[in-house]
Amino acid sequence: MNLFKAELHRIARRRLTLLFGLLAVGALLVMTAIMWFNSSTGPSGADLAAAQEMADAANAQYETCAADEDYFAAPDSEYSWVEEDPVLGEMPHEQACAELFWGDSQPEDFIYVYTFQFDQEGVFLLIGVAIVTGLLVMLLAASAIGAEWSSGGMANLMVWHPNRLKVWGAKLAAALVLCAVAVAAMLVLAFALLYLTASVRGDTGTMDGPWWEHTLARVGRTAVLALGMTVIGSALAMLGRHTAIAGGVIVGYLTVGELLVTFVRFGASGIKYPDLLSLYTWIGAWIEGRMRLDHWDPVTGASDPMVLTATDAGLLLGAIMLVFAGLATWSFAKRDAA
Amino acid sequence: MPSVIEISGLRKTYRKLLRQPHNALDGLDMEVAAGQVHGFLGPNGSGKTTTLRALLGLIGTDGGTMRLFGEAVPRRLPHVIARIGAVVESPQFFRHFSGRLTLQLLAESAGLAPARVDEVLEQVGLRDQAKQSVKGYSLGMRQRLAVAQALLKQPELLVLDEPANGLDPAGIHHMRALLQWLAHEQGVTVLVSSHLLSEVQQLCDSMTIVSRGRRIVDGKVADIIAGHSGSQLSVRLADAGQIREAVEVLVGAEGGVSVAAERERLVVTGAPEAAWVTKTLADAGLYLSELTTETKNLESVFLELTGTAPQAGQAVQVGQPVPGTEETPAAAATAAETAIGGDQR
Ligand SMILES: Nc1ncnc2c1ncn2[C@@H]1O[C@H](COP(=O)(O)OP(=O)(O)O)[C@@H](O)[C@H]1O
Ligand SMILES: [Mg+2]
Repeated sequence: MNLFKAELHRIARRRLTLLFGLLAVGALLVMTAIMWFNSSTGPSGADLAAAQEMADAANAQYETCAADEDYFAAPDSEYSWVEEDPVLGEMPHEQACAELFWGDSQPEDFIYVYTFQFDQEGVFLLIGVAIVTGLLVMLLAASAIGAEWSSGGMANLMVWHPNRLKVWGAKLAAALVLCAVAVAAMLVLAFALLYLTASVRGDTGTMDGPWWEHTLARVGRTAVLALGMTVIGSALAMLGRHTAIAGGVIVGYLTVGELLVTFVRFGASGIKYPDLLSLYTWIGAWIEGRMRLDHWDPVTGASDPMVLTATDAGLLLGAIMLVFAGLATWSFAKRDAA
Repeated sequence: MPSVIEISGLRKTYRKLLRQPHNALDGLDMEVAAGQVHGFLGPNGSGKTTTLRALLGLIGTDGGTMRLFGEAVPRRLPHVIARIGAVVESPQFFRHFSGRLTLQLLAESAGLAPARVDEVLEQVGLRDQAKQSVKGYSLGMRQRLAVAQALLKQPELLVLDEPANGLDPAGIHHMRALLQWLAHEQGVTVLVSSHLLSEVQQLCDSMTIVSRGRRIVDGKVADIIAGHSGSQLSVRLADAGQIREAVEVLVGAEGGVSVAAERERLVVTGAPEAAWVTKTLADAGLYLSELTTETKNLESVFLELTGTAPQAGQAVQVGQPVPGTEETPAAAATAAETAIGGDQR
């Protein structure tokens, strides 16, 4: 217990932890600001009047154009190029006018109103926040353990605590607690900020019982995913014994690994559901709870669907996590520490 | 006195792909008695760090047994670790943590009183730099911090791997005083590894000399020095044909004198004084043509024992084996046995 507390303090006192924390909160504030300024509950009277004016002007110009067959051919016309235009030139005169000057304009065409719907879009933002927080903690955990290996701090700690499983357990537990606290804090903060934005500048929608159930299930599974990522980050650092190795493997997989999957997807016709090769498919199924993959028969064009449930995805992702955690445990227990 | 550390027949083989396996430890034995400063002396690469790592459970071994406070390690290490403070190969620590925070985290992890942190910082002379981040520490300051963390637990056994590395002369002096105080006033058993004989000579009560993963000799530092560094006399006779007779006379005259006959001269060691040799031989009707005193330097004995020899201009440092004088460790050990007899186990 003492060791666990010390490890928690160790990871919390790192500068990188502070930096990532500020980064995460900053990004959240930026996201809220963007939603705040983009969303509005509806156009104001002045906006509407301005839009009406623009629509009227456009319609007037269209009328003028449509009424004059030689509108484009007039010697001082700025639109003489229309006659030679391969598309517009071929159209009947009136249609060309309509294309050019937006005939039948409505004020809505000149006003952009986006209303932030918290009950629908807010959930995706919350899931995004949880995933990004998970990624940050994963890197944080990998970096803390990796740096401890390369600085000799790990060997020193083992002289204090010869029971290696205890050391690894304490470090992992500290990383997981940090992850849980970080994800929970970021979710609460994001919820508060986005809900406020929606109530002032948008629409909170209907947040009834079933909505809460569905939302909590998805966000909760994302939080579990974040914990799993933290385990994998820690395990990689334990296996590689260096931050750069762990970080390289993670970034390498996220880029090159998925790129390879894309190649396979286009190249291999032997695989019925090539999407299954991509980890993102499984992650998507885990978060959403259900994912449908289609296989279209090349001859009949009929679909032969396959459904991934959260349980399927959870089993696969959990197995991957356990393999990494197991390898890390085994290697730490058996390998020479210096 | 009971042994705090007992190591016997310890083996460690490093295997690398496409390389010959390398025996870092080749049946090493060592005993360290309680309440002493014990030197663990050997040239670079002789297996000192490997031994200490094995003793502290950092690496596995390929044979042999180790005991700490009578408990078999590494199996029982968790039971005795609270009594042991150690520094194995000066850790670099976390660059952005202060010296104090580094120690606080360790103290917390073992449930030690936070007040210990300031005590040990004071003891190693780091009080004024405690709040600086380790990044700005010199090698010597990191070494002190490492020793401070080893002292945190108020250990009964302190194991330090080359603690003098990176310390300035004042730092070495301070460290020496601290370690001797710990051993002689506080009853702490201290094991210090070093590749410098002079350091061990000034600091330690007893020592174990190793070379190529084996013990060459051990015992009280004073005894080993007495057994080796005594001056020897080179004697030539007026009549070179009487050498054999002279040997018999000297050996028969009094115990404790050892005489080796070389081609044209005798080498006498352990004689009370030069005049005794002259008189003894003259009494037997044998007359000297030459008698010189050759002071045998302790370093050179160490170099002989460990199969290494000095490089030009390098009086104290023990380094690489000299080409042509390659001795097998076994032969070196035998030589040591003949030379010091009783000290050998
Ligand atoms: N991790 C390792 N892998 C391979 N060989 C090693 C390793 N550690 C030490 N050795 C070898 O073991 C021998 C003893 O090294 P060491 O114990 O560090 O010597 P010392 O501390 O006495 O200078 C050396 O020859 C060294 O090259
Ligand atoms: Mg060493």
